[in-house]
Amino acid sequence: MISLLLTHQWKAFWRSRNAGKSIALRIFMGFLILYLLLTAIGVGVFLKEALEKLYPGQDTIRVFCGFALYYFLIDMFTRFMLQDLPTLTIQPYLTQHIRRSQLIRFLNVRSLFTVINLIPLLLSLPFTFMVIGPAHGTGPLLGFVAALLGCTFFNHFFILYVKRKSLVNSWWYVIFLLALAALGALEYFHVFSFSKVSSALFYGIIEKPWLCLLPAGLAVAAFFNNDAFLLKNLYLEDIGARNKKKEGAEYTFLNRFGAEGELIGLDLKLILRNKRPRSVAMITVLFLFYGFIFYKPEYLRQGWWGFLQVGGIFLTGLFISNYGQFLFAWQSGHFDGMMASNLSVKTYIKSKFMLFTAVCTLVLLLTAFYGLLEWKLLLVQLSGYLYNVGIHAVIAVYFATRSYKAIDISKGTTFNYQGMGAEKWIYSLVILLVPMVIYWPFAYFFHTPWAGIAAIGILGLISFLLQDWWIDILTREFRARKHRILDGFREN
Amino acid sequence: MIQVNGLVKTYSGKTVVDIPSLQVGEGEIIGLVGNNGAGKTTFFRLLLDLIRADKGEILSKEKNVATSEDWKRYTAAYLDEGFLIDYLTPEEYFYFVGRLNNRSKADVDEFLKTFEGFFDGSILKSGKYIRDLSKGNQFKVGIAGCLLQDPEVLLLDEPFANLDPTTQLRLIKMIKELHARRRMTIFISSHDLNHVTDVSTRILLMEKGFIIKDLRSKEDTLQELEDYFRV
Repeated sequence: MISLLLTHQWKAFWRSRNAGKSIALRIFMGFLILYLLLTAIGVGVFLKEALEKLYPGQDTIRVFCGFALYYFLIDMFTRFMLQDLPTLTIQPYLTQHIRRSQLIRFLNVRSLFTVINLIPLLLSLPFTFMVIGPAHGTGPLLGFVAALLGCTFFNHFFILYVKRKSLVNSWWYVIFLLALAALGALEYFHVFSFSKVSSALFYGIIEKPWLCLLPAGLAVAAFFNNDAFLLKNLYLEDIGARNKKKEGAEYTFLNRFGAEGELIGLDLKLILRNKRPRSVAMITVLFLFYGFIFYKPEYLRQGWWGFLQVGGIFLTGLFISNYGQFLFAWQSGHFDGMMASNLSVKTYIKSKFMLFTAVCTLVLLLTAFYGLLEWKLLLVQLSGYLYNVGIHAVIAVYFATRSYKAIDISKGTTFNYQGMGAEKWIYSLVILLVPMVIYWPFAYFFHTPWAGIAAIGILGLISFLLQDWWIDILTREFRARKHRILDGFREN
Repeated sequence: MIQVNGLVKTYSGKTVVDIPSLQVGEGEIIGLVGNNGAGKTTFFRLLLDLIRADKGEILSKEKNVATSEDWKRYTAAYLDEGFLIDYLTPEEYFYFVGRLNNRSKADVDEFLKTFEGFFDGSILKSGKYIRDLSKGNQFKVGIAGCLLQDPEVLLLDEPFANLDPTTQLRLIKMIKELHARRRMTIFISSHDLNHVTDVSTRILLMEKGFIIKDLRSKEDTLQELEDYFRV
């Protein structure tokens, strides 16, 4: 029975509506996944050599054992961010003559078919077979395989459980992340060493292969835990989140901005109440900390301001590039209504500019703490901010008038390339190149990066002051392609 | 009020709407009937400038709907769920529409009071987003949203198909009242011949994009339509 249901899933995958539409995208995705897998295999196969290089003179098997649990901890976090819940696919089967427990088993088995599960195995199994097997014989080899599979599947089912729980109660979400952070902190302050536990477990397997029963047992327990949870909550599964009473919200501070303010409020609700834009917003918030990686002390010391400027533009413009790439498409589900309501195109476009400006300003203020690293970073970020609200916003809206692909805002973001197309790549290229084109001649001519940074800021400011003029142009652009956009959005 | 001149819309070589000439005066209630694929919804979309006409034009108060945005001020429409913002609660949606039409919150609340019967207690304070409402209730929200705009031109696509019998009759009563009070120009498409002949002052029968009959409603109109649709 399960195999029959799996063949249905296979068909659903290949026959899905998006499947035929863009072959190029599928090929691209295929290559991306292939690349990921090949890299994983590559790393897996050459893991011994790599470890020898990194830890010369140490026993690679010991190093490997010490690392294994770390890896699975990171894996757990990645899964939490990336892994999707298999849902709703069961609905048509609920009324058929199939036992409910079978359906649930199917849901759980089917969830295993994901690339994310392959990666840890590809990374670790080659090493197991090439190094541990020859060195210690079949017993430890099998023990290792069982332990690695156990850890992978435990992570898989445990994360599914946590995610299902947090669907019903979002505190699970917070608690899980806090727990993970606490573990990291314990390790960081040397209260507790994963490395020791990891060594004890995995190196222990070499001596006593039966220790592999521990991770394997945990995996089995996690599997049945999921089973039991789903059996109890099969109905809740698809309605859980809906049962909560929805309260309306009102953003009174937007009232003074008239119709534009109303539209901004609409955008905010769209972001907060729908899965895909919400995760885009979350990514944007997470990336605000990217500055800690980008603004490296050595770059600051060496005064690579031109380079740091890229970071400034990136940080302050993240929202525009993330949200703006699907600017109108977010509303594709009700674009007919938007266009038929008492709302001029100009007002609509203007509201988007106001949203961009408001969020970028907020980001500029929030990221001011980077000024503690080096106050000159504030200038870099200010220049980036002016560029973003003045020039980047215009580019984003212009490209939005040229994208005709609808988006289902209730779907997740991971590996979701719906709505992507050639124009999105061109957009990324343009927003990368424009600041460089402004920067280089000035920096080169005046022999200082600050000339380039100032030029970016000043041009941004000028463009920002010309915003009304841009809005008129973009309104014309929009009206010229309005029907094409509407046709595209309706095709969803 | 509405004038159609040489309107043609084709999809991949197939003509879906072909209306050489049509005049609709103020205060007319137009019932649009015809089998699936007759072009009713496409005609509505053309009226709202949601699709581009291949030939011809539609004038609303003498202004081309494709080039002027003036019609948006006095036109309200509900064709399908694509006209609702599904992640809002019904109240939020009404306030939103109200704001776009310069009606205050108190004003909207006042207006909604007159809809208590129509909503039958399942819309307001339901604690649901519009996307979680049943299709019939979504339709009620859409219709109320239209009337909230106090339009001069109203377009409803198959309003009877998704409503329960009580609400169907309520809607007919409401339309008749509005017509008497406001001289609203109304377009209604429907497969329900009884209702549509009851409510309309004029029936347009469409077939494969053409208006093949243009009837002023009389006692025998229903009979005539039934004869046409008889298999």
